[in-house]
Amino acid sequence: MSPRGRFLVATLSGLVLAGLVHVVVVLSIPRLSETDALSRARSSEALDHPMPVNTVAAGDAPATAEAWLPIPDPSVAVGLCAYDLADGPMRVSARTGPLMMSLAVHGRRGAFYAVTDQAAVRGALDLVVLTRAQYDEALANADEDEVSHDVRIVAPDSKGYVVVRVIAALPSQRPAADAAVQAVSCTVDSPAEDAKPGG
Amino acid sequence: MRMTLAETVARLRPVQTRPASSEARRSGAAPPGRAGQRVAGAFRGAIRRASTVTLVLYALALGAGIGLLTADYATRGGYPFGGVRVGAWTAWPKVGSLGADPYARAVNARRGEIPLTIGEGMLLTADQDDAGRALDAACTYAVAGVTPPARAWTVTVAGRGAREPGPAPMREGFTATEILRETDGRFVITLSPEVQSGNWLPMPRARGPVRLALRLYDTPVAASAGNLDRSAVPAITRGACAA
Repeated sequence: MSPRGRFLVATLSGLVLAGLVHVVVVLSIPRLSETDALSRARSSEALDHPMPVNTVAAGDAPATAEAWLPIPDPSVAVGLCAYDLADGPMRVSARTGPLMMSLAVHGRRGAFYAVTDQAAVRGALDLVVLTRAQYDEALANADEDEVSHDVRIVAPDSKGYVVVRVIAALPSQRPAADAAVQAVSCTVDSPAEDAKPGG
Repeated sequence: MRMTLAETVARLRPVQTRPASSEARRSGAAPPGRAGQRVAGAFRGAIRRASTVTLVLYALALGAGIGLLTADYATRGGYPFGGVRVGAWTAWPKVGSLGADPYARAVNARRGEIPLTIGEGMLLTADQDDAGRALDAACTYAVAGVTPPARAWTVTVAGRGAREPGPAPMREGFTATEILRETDGRFVITLSPEVQSGNWLPMPRARGPVRLALRLYDTPVAASAGNLDRSAVPAITRGACAA
């Protein structure tokens, strides 16, 4: 093969290699990233209320250390609850108020469920995020006579986070929006609590 | 291509021994002062002298370099694909869902973004006006019309890139409740560096490009962003510009 031909073959194989490297890098960024929302939310796993990500009250106070959202909406309070379903199903309980609230459940690959306060039953919104096995178990243990208002969501993978957004339509509602995010409870449903009647 | 060590060394050795002769040949062939020809000559000489190992290393370096650079370029800043143009605005309906493309997921992971999902709402961004000119902080713009149906919406303005340090501007956006409307329900937001009457949205910075974001919360149009008409979103028209 002529030197020029060898050089062309090397260039072409370099370009093919570049395509492969490009695809592999793009696909592995979400897995390797340490600055994505899932990795940052890990630190909130021990909390039983959402970690504030974007607070809207206190106009000129410095932003919280957790504030990492690139361009947050200045009138929407955002909180995060990380979950790890290996510890048990995750229960998110919210009381609806005058402010509009939405809950979204994100897994590793993206959001798979979202609900707003319009779906609340008598002012309460209860989401239970569980794995397929935990869902089957909950169905088997369910009491037929008891009406449950829980919304059961089967998660595609065991780790993820729940995003709570509360919209303050007026600046005077901003403290209430921050408080509404903090008032949501995110707890792990342990089997012992499940066994209690009416729990 | 498999080679023994001896063969490799034998192929490598000419690389070290030949330069002197080719240098002499090149300086004889190329007249002085013709730099382009000399570079081309050196390039041809390098190709002729390159051993297999050199070529393999060249291919690996080319692959790694171009692959990493293009991956970085494609996942830096905004989402490269999946935008739906509606007038001057671009909607990103799928970036938060399980069906998001790998580039959108990589962009979200790098920025730490938590995108709005279809059930929550929809984000529309605009970095140019209706005539296609980039939004500039020195100009005055009228953002006028109606929004698609939604329980709540906000219009915010930000400079591109990271937020500048210092105190936050006194107003970064309007919500649907705050806005002053005409009697027919339409509204006009004036985005301007100068104080304006009505719904004045101050420019977030003194100069440079800016970007508008329209966030619709709890909206039925999120699932069908492609069907939005440009009369359903606010029009952005440019007014006077400071020199």
